[in-house]
Amino acid sequence: MRANYQVNSGVRFQMLSDDQLEELFESVLHVLEYTGLEVHHEESLQILKDAGAWVDGKRVRLPSYMVRRALELAPRSFTIYARDGNPEHDIHIGPGRSHFGPGPTCPNFIDVETMERRPYVKSDVPLVAKVVDALPNIDFCESLGTVDDVHHDLGATYEFAGMFPNTSKPIVAWSYDKYDSEEIHKIAVAEAGGQEAFERRPNYIHYCEPLSPLVSTEDALDKLIFAANHRVPLIFTPCPIAGGTAPVTAAGIIIQAAAESWMGLTIAQTLQPGLPFFMGGVLSVMDMSNMILAYGAPELSLFMAGITELAHYVGLPLWQTGGCTDSKALDEQAAIEGSLSAYFSALTGGDLCHDVGYTESAMTGSVFQLAMMDEAIGYARRITRGIEVNEDTLAVDVIHNVGPNGHYLREQHTRNHYKTEFFYPNLCDRRNYEEWEMMGKQTMSDRVVSRVQDILATHEPSPVKPETEKVIEEVLASAEKRVK
Amino acid sequence: MNETLEKLSTCILEGDSEAAPGLVQQALDDGVVPKTILDEGMVVGMNEVGDRFRRGDMFVPEVLMSADAMQSGLEILRPELVSSGVKLIGKVVLGTVQGDLHDIGKNLVGMMCEGAGFEVIDLGFNQKPEAFIDAVKEHQPDLVGMSALLTTTMRAMGHTIKSLEEAGLREQVKVMVGGAPVDQAFADRIGADGYGSNAVAGSDLAKRLVGAG
Repeated sequence: MRANYQVNSGVRFQMLSDDQLEELFESVLHVLEYTGLEVHHEESLQILKDAGAWVDGKRVRLPSYMVRRALELAPRSFTIYARDGNPEHDIHIGPGRSHFGPGPTCPNFIDVETMERRPYVKSDVPLVAKVVDALPNIDFCESLGTVDDVHHDLGATYEFAGMFPNTSKPIVAWSYDKYDSEEIHKIAVAEAGGQEAFERRPNYIHYCEPLSPLVSTEDALDKLIFAANHRVPLIFTPCPIAGGTAPVTAAGIIIQAAAESWMGLTIAQTLQPGLPFFMGGVLSVMDMSNMILAYGAPELSLFMAGITELAHYVGLPLWQTGGCTDSKALDEQAAIEGSLSAYFSALTGGDLCHDVGYTESAMTGSVFQLAMMDEAIGYARRITRGIEVNEDTLAVDVIHNVGPNGHYLREQHTRNHYKTEFFYPNLCDRRNYEEWEMMGKQTMSDRVVSRVQDILATHEPSPVKPETEKVIEEVLASAEKRVK
Repeated sequence: MNETLEKLSTCILEGDSEAAPGLVQQALDDGVVPKTILDEGMVVGMNEVGDRFRRGDMFVPEVLMSADAMQSGLEILRPELVSSGVKLIGKVVLGTVQGDLHDIGKNLVGMMCEGAGFEVIDLGFNQKPEAFIDAVKEHQPDLVGMSALLTTTMRAMGHTIKSLEEAGLREQVKVMVGGAPVDQAFADRIGADGYGSNAVAGSDLAKRLVGAG
């Protein structure tokens, strides 16, 4: 043991060499400088031009110094705060920390009573938020659906209004345009206690999506500019599909996705230096038979690992993807695909891993998949925590004291550590056969269903302030007026 | 079967865009009538492509190569078809709806429909309901096909159908819809006549809707 210095290593991997990372990085700069992107947004074109970009019509090329400067301005470490001040629900973004949560905008939902697939409705929102709030390994909230039974321009506003009072875990808020972005922000700021209080302790993250290949759309940039002006931490996440809207090769899709993200980064950092910014996104393959974006493909995990390493190489946090599946049921395929991608995501240390609970290639949200993945993430987290090596954990004295043919059950050392050294499953069954038989021979999916039902029947999230409740009502009323 | 037509059908199946025009020309020089070249040469090849795709024996990039070969052959054949007064099996107006800039899937449906013997008018992407209405008035198609990739833009398909109704045009066309977030239930909700889950299903649907499937 060294006297005053100790290295503790967790389980992580490094897939790309520094040479490869440098080559990827330089290639992204090259794409941004020589190919450029289309920017469908007048105000952004002006902002970029004033900051030194070459603008030809809608085509924008960024000299590499602009991108390097933006990368330098964006922070690697920051905190997103629980709205109720519960430190256990804060999210500390920084090296070696992985966080998990659901994804947005599935058109369908698995009904929690009938277990049938049907359109996602308003009353599903609070229920998803409650389950998120209760699950120990789920750290942030998205709604798993697009609300179908309200005016179609108000889906995102109703979504946020339904999630916010039902979980104090930070929310990643998706929206249609700047109008609902503003409505969402009003609710969050009311709870935070004003704009300045929000800026010091942001309680949600704003989410926008550019278009692949190489387009920044008007709505995405309207939202980005709203977030930057109000200092809302921002995710700018493309969803390129290898072989369809991006190169078929892993290196190719990674540099294209990075170029798409960094156009947003450059605009955001020009407007609001130091704005917390996550690069994205969802990188996977086009299934060449079914033409779907595969959410259970091994390439998804591989591409995501590659772009995570690139993000960390340049000092940005990453919006990871995992815990999702192409399966239509809560079955073996869902468990394999979801668990492997969640585990792989944890190994990369990707910062916010979303889409946990996606089934049917993002067509259907499922709190059951989410609850099953909570267990897989717990398992992954125990592994990535690694092995602590010090005098106490080496236990040489304990081994000596117990000696040959003794046992460790009564040792103080055992009592000190057994609760933290071991992972205790919530869902995986370790009973003996007779007990398992007596408990009704429940399968994994039986146990998942009863856990979700139990959470919904018993879990009470901490409430929002009474004045926030009033603001939510006002925001919804004025939103309804907006679309009349 | 004429040996040249057999070669032409194989050439479509193998996606050989360079050979297709020459084989069409050769068939014309042999005196085969244009309609026979289409039905017994090119469409035979394209049907086999569809069958193989459905069985999982062919993948989308190969289907695209076949559609390209079909296109390159049609460049030679189309003027001959027109001048001999042959009617194609139908006319389709296609477009990606308002707010959506994605058109890969829609382009695939267009190519497969042309391969199945339709005349295709492609409006492009981000098309307002009015663009569909103008196209229906101008081209008098049998079918209108709409697509969207995003859950945020799929609702524009419903708006477009409603606009067709308001313009009094809904009865004269069949409407088919597709795109990643779309399913049969959605198609039913917005009052479309059919839904196709991929490009081959889309052209099959088009054939069924004009009574040729």
